[in-house]
Amino acid sequence: MALKITNLLASAAIVLAGTSAAQAQNVLNVVSGGSENMVDYVTDYLGPLFEEQNPGWTVKVVGTGAGDAGSQTIMEKLVAQSGNDAWDTDVVVVTQLKAGEMVTDGLLQAYVGDIATGKLATRDTAKVALGTNVEGYVMPMFHSQTAIAYNPDVVANPPKSFDELKAWTAEHPGAFGYNGIKNGMSGVAFTTGWMYAYAGNADQLMNGPYDPELKANWDKALADLKAFNENVTFTPGNAGTLDMMNRGEIVMGPVWVDMFYTWQADGRLNPNLKLLLPEPGMPGQPYYYAIPAKAANAEAARKFIELATSPEVQAEGIVKRFNWYPGIDAQHVESALDKATWDKLFTDVTPADLAAKGKPFPLGPFFDDIREAYEVKVSN
Amino acid sequence: MNILRTIVIAVLLALLAFAIFGPITNLLIWSVAETWYFPAKLPQSYGFAFWERVFRPQGNAMESLGNSVLIAVFTVIASLAVAIPAGLALGRGKLPWRSAFLLLFLLPQAFPSLAVHMNIARIFYSLGLNGTYTGVVLVHTIQGLVFSVWIATAAFSAVDRELEEAAANMGASPFTVFRTVTLPLALPGLMASAIFVFLISLDEFTGTFFVGVPDVTTMPLLLFTASMEGNYQIASITALILLVPSVGFMLFIERFLKADVLAKVGS
Amino acid sequence: MLSRRASLILIAPAVVLLGLLFLYPLSYSLIWAFSDEELGGWGLQNFIKAWGLYSRDVLFTLIIVTLSTLIIGAVSVAIGGYLTLGENRVALAVLRTLYRWPLFIPFVVSAQLMRTFLAKNGMMNNIITSTGLMDPLAATSFLDWRGIVITFVWKQTPFVALLVAGAMAALDRSTIEAARNLGARRLRILLGIVVPQVGTTLMVGLILSYVVMMSVLSVPLMINAQTPTMITVDMAWRINAYSDYGVANALGFITYAMTAVIAWIYLRQGVREGGRPQ
Repeated sequence: MALKITNLLASAAIVLAGTSAAQAQNVLNVVSGGSENMVDYVTDYLGPLFEEQNPGWTVKVVGTGAGDAGSQTIMEKLVAQSGNDAWDTDVVVVTQLKAGEMVTDGLLQAYVGDIATGKLATRDTAKVALGTNVEGYVMPMFHSQTAIAYNPDVVANPPKSFDELKAWTAEHPGAFGYNGIKNGMSGVAFTTGWMYAYAGNADQLMNGPYDPELKANWDKALADLKAFNENVTFTPGNAGTLDMMNRGEIVMGPVWVDMFYTWQADGRLNPNLKLLLPEPGMPGQPYYYAIPAKAANAEAARKFIELATSPEVQAEGIVKRFNWYPGIDAQHVESALDKATWDKLFTDVTPADLAAKGKPFPLGPFFDDIREAYEVKVSN
Repeated sequence: MNILRTIVIAVLLALLAFAIFGPITNLLIWSVAETWYFPAKLPQSYGFAFWERVFRPQGNAMESLGNSVLIAVFTVIASLAVAIPAGLALGRGKLPWRSAFLLLFLLPQAFPSLAVHMNIARIFYSLGLNGTYTGVVLVHTIQGLVFSVWIATAAFSAVDRELEEAAANMGASPFTVFRTVTLPLALPGLMASAIFVFLISLDEFTGTFFVGVPDVTTMPLLLFTASMEGNYQIASITALILLVPSVGFMLFIERFLKADVLAKVGS
Repeated sequence: MLSRRASLILIAPAVVLLGLLFLYPLSYSLIWAFSDEELGGWGLQNFIKAWGLYSRDVLFTLIIVTLSTLIIGAVSVAIGGYLTLGENRVALAVLRTLYRWPLFIPFVVSAQLMRTFLAKNGMMNNIITSTGLMDPLAATSFLDWRGIVITFVWKQTPFVALLVAGAMAALDRSTIEAARNLGARRLRILLGIVVPQVGTTLMVGLILSYVVMMSVLSVPLMINAQTPTMITVDMAWRINAYSDYGVANALGFITYAMTAVIAWIYLRQGVREGGRPQ
């Protein structure tokens, strides 16, 4: 018996040693923050496409999870190996906040000028991430937007603005749910939308300049939010909001648009549910492609991102297959797509809506102030 | 009276079964649910589409599972290898600062790992252990050390000293006493700790990410993100797959215990 | 009995492994926790801030984890006790196959299961209302502190019960049989004879569970939507939102202190009673 086990282990050890030594030479390592379907996107679509065009290369992708938490993990992994000459991560997909921090800390390399698609993304968010200049370091993979999801069978006339939402929640206590601020970005986005609506100086919050005194004017908005919270159901996380909609415990709540569509596609949400963007708007953000400063395969990484941000791939992969808003400028993508697919993307939220009411997140330091003010004045 | 007692027992067991299997039933249902939303109390449609998704060749599920099991087995071996001597010293030895040592071994579990992993990764990178199986096994061993050391200590200190002395009086060398008396008596506890260490390794996420990725990927890397973002079908299926090695390992240990150890203990 | 020197040699590999691969990296965390970013140098600034913002969460964590530990202890003793003293063969067989299953479900999945099970329109309430035992309108959600406790108890009880049942099975049956022949009730035997003899194993199991529950992130994150919440959530929040390792590590240190105090009391207790604690 003991002998058998020893043999078994010995052969396992040989296999172990063998696999690590026989690691293929040309592997492009992609580490992606964000939700599982972003990993699936690379695994099932983009990766195979790249491998087909670049024989001898294999794309390997690992996901680290949604929100800043997932991207923070990636950043820590880069910091941990910053003493090495060649890093084991070639392409990263990260949130705005963390992309800004990574640029500031010198963890990324400038590459956008070197790729052919570099000029196709000209929106502000391709250059500035929450107030940090990231021009040249990032290309948007897709734009993600938050919106209010609701059940039209129960809510025939959904509130069209934050004011109406306030009134509606007072009449229907507990029917609106969101996840506060500690537990996922959709709740943070809702809070930000609230501040844009009621704290004043919304433009300054988004575009600067930063003024540490501004937060003195927020007391009323925060007190109102605290009163508003009396009538809402708190949900555990971004997925928690969708989860409660799945079971009909709430009929309305802020969600990420791409996550909402995934839940519908996977049969976890009623396909009749709809989205709306309330006045004056809610924030969204792109996920960025970036290349770590000492990526071992930087050249292949550039090729990979070039492919990923080409109009054809953005049209076929991002819009058609995955229902995301394109990362590069819309006009380049629209021309590569049939009209029906294009229109389907904007069923609930029209392009005009998106242009008028799709906001960026606030400047980094304001963002910190808002979150800390919420912690101190709303949740306590 | 007896009938009444039987009824009470039956009701209690039924409640326990409900408490344990209620949530697990949920897992089973989600693993085959293709559409399930309000107001339906059970899925509107069933199917294996998500199983196909988990097992699609690009997903590398089988490779990840193989890695997970292999790493878990080696983690068990590594942690027993250091925990048995340590447990012997803590349970039977004249160790100075014994309490301090025991408190020290609590650290890897008691200090939430969130803030520590980056530093662990930094050290592993400098040692060239990142991206290797050895690195992942070591980081799992550290996580499991508290279980293996504390339980081994308890197991060794519970061994009846008189039996050891009797063997020693008959002229057995200290090592023979250890091999024939102490170890077999402590073995049930050690095996229990092996099971826990195996399970910890099989479920570990953060350490694997920092130390293993991108070269070594395991099943929980998929499980963790899927579960956190509410991808119930994928998470349920992954958890079910992980049940196979978990339960298998426990049955293996129990069989091994029954056949080898109990025989020796009896003689 | 091993000599001092032999003991130190035997424990050395484990300590070296721990020191190199955990204590050394951990020391960076402690440096972060105790450094004062504003003034430079050392200070307790991070602890003051952590306490100011999260003292309620610290207390909440302590209560939740202690309560869960106590319930886990009671249920494990009940399960182990019945497995040792029970007479009904069918019930024994059922219990033995039943109680272990949650052991194999990872924490993150346990949290997911409980979230869909304990919710207002979750499976538990659905089952209870469909049997007619409860009015559907009376259904409430357990997704708050109760949900955390239920999940912890569900997931950790099998762990302690497995250890305790193992220790009980290894006991010398003669005293138990003697007491039984004298007509003692089984509960008396369990509490008076069996439990004291497995006290060490029970305490070790409970302390290990306590430690594990202290450091789990996914359960409070996925189940508890309310404030206050558990310390691990605050740690994750400090790091992810503000990259504030100072306060996060201070919170980690507080967490360890809460564990160490409990473990230390237990270890002292054993010494005072004259025996070795384990």
